[in-house]
Amino acid sequence: MRDMGWMVVVVLAAVLLSLYVTWTAGRVDRLHARAAAADAALDAHLVRRAAAAASLAEAAQHVPLMYAARIALDVPSQDREAAENDLTRQLRAVVAPDDPAFSAVISANRRVALARQVHTDVVRDALRARRRFTVRVLRLAVKHPVPTYFDIDDPTLDRAARPVTVLRKVRRSTDGAVPDASQPAPGHA
Amino acid sequence: MRIGIVCPYSLDVPGGVQNHVRDLAEALIGMGHSVSVLAPGEDDSGLPPYVVPAGRSVPVRYNGSVARLSFGPISATRVRRWLASGHFDVLHVHEPVTPSLSMLAVLSARGPVVATFHTAMTRSRTMAAVQGMLQLVLERITARIAVSDLARKVQVEHLGGSAWEIPNGVAIARFATATPLPGWPGPDGAIGFLGRYTEPRKGFDLLRTAWVRLASDRPGLRLLVAGPGEPEAALEGVPAALRDQIVLLGKVSETDKARMLRSVDCYVAPNTGGESFGMILTEAMAAGTPVVASDLDAFRRVLDAGRAGVLFPAGDADALARALATLLDSPKRRAALVERAAGVVSAYDWRVVAERVLEVYATAIEVEVGTVVTDEPDTGS
Repeated sequence: MRDMGWMVVVVLAAVLLSLYVTWTAGRVDRLHARAAAADAALDAHLVRRAAAAASLAEAAQHVPLMYAARIALDVPSQDREAAENDLTRQLRAVVAPDDPAFSAVISANRRVALARQVHTDVVRDALRARRRFTVRVLRLAVKHPVPTYFDIDDPTLDRAARPVTVLRKVRRSTDGAVPDASQPAPGHA
Repeated sequence: MRIGIVCPYSLDVPGGVQNHVRDLAEALIGMGHSVSVLAPGEDDSGLPPYVVPAGRSVPVRYNGSVARLSFGPISATRVRRWLASGHFDVLHVHEPVTPSLSMLAVLSARGPVVATFHTAMTRSRTMAAVQGMLQLVLERITARIAVSDLARKVQVEHLGGSAWEIPNGVAIARFATATPLPGWPGPDGAIGFLGRYTEPRKGFDLLRTAWVRLASDRPGLRLLVAGPGEPEAALEGVPAALRDQIVLLGKVSETDKARMLRSVDCYVAPNTGGESFGMILTEAMAAGTPVVASDLDAFRRVLDAGRAGVLFPAGDADALARALATLLDSPKRRAALVERAAGVVSAYDWRVVAERVLEVYATAIEVEVGTVVTDEPDTGS
């Protein structure tokens, strides 16, 4: 009788544990799929912005902007962050935020900023899941490549819209450098 | 686009979040989208056709006012049924980190989920204690919106994520076309104030001091006050001769608020702090009333650094009196402010704001696979 009781407890614990592991594995897969999709979406919006900048540069015969846009489109991935920052700087020099003539590039730029912020959030969620004990011990995340942040300056063009100085609290987490998508990096805003 | 919106508070009770949800839903419907709003409530009598009631709501004291929340097995079933039958492209929940219908919806849904944070709540012990559970809610959310810079900072600091700032919208036409109250503003000038005048941070005593000073040498200058509170508290320290020039409306409806704003020559926001966005300023601007406000960051931003309204140093009654005197004496200056304010406030029109919200929907849809579905427990992925 006592053995039966133990059996029930052991079986129940095994069932609960396997349910938990299955659930966690599903959660990890989902978060990684989302991070990969966010990567693709951000890439698409960056290409759209560079294309809009290129056609603006052509119309305005603005050579530095033209170069920045071409470089952003062609650069190898390890240099992309610097190239996109450079394109943002060129756009800031050219674009008047209230002028309807620039609405295409302003809208493409805003979508980059938004896509990049969501990208940062979903990458953070995926990385956080990877650090969980169960995930590390059972190697639930090894089949997924490690998601990485896309570390560029806040690409906002409308400098007046947001204050440059923002409270910045050091978080306890072990993420290392967590770029905050919504705040301009010091020195570039 | 098929959009499912969840409002945590009952729509038959007035409130900031409820007004926001209603106006957003109507703007989106006006743009040709299909919208369903799930909100606490027992039956749909008297509710707009796009609202689906989610069951009995329980009054809960929260953030200084009584909110009616739904949370429980019946609500959970209705949430699942609504999600399953809605075939939404995107789910948009409001205030999802308090135990509410919004949280239920987030926990029951898979797919593109957008959340809007309204309150700039500060970190509480409860929140710290449930951080792990909160993470389960937060990671179901694809994209986050904050209605003010303050709400956005709370996101960054307390919830460990970022948020895209989209301000509250204003139904400009509703304010611009409201009829002034009979007899207002009158030939001798009128100044307006709206808010809880007993709350020190609203700065009503500053306005009262400034007004008493002005009214002493401007016979007939009236003060129109809307907001809850004891009449004696509003009249404290006012000379008996001037008392009948202060008109108290008490708590006003949305319609009367618009009429009240159209009934004065100047609207004053003398707040000394704590204002996260300054919704009332955009409303006064939409009503075509010149605004005088303290120079808080939020007000400064809404008033385009003083170009669309007059800013005075917060807490300085003398400066406020001087600013009001200048404005009251110069119809030309008032007209110029109103014209610039109309330009500024057009960026807050619900149509413009709804376009911004749609961009966030689009981003969330790009990042998630498929449409919104109910989360079937036990299937894992």
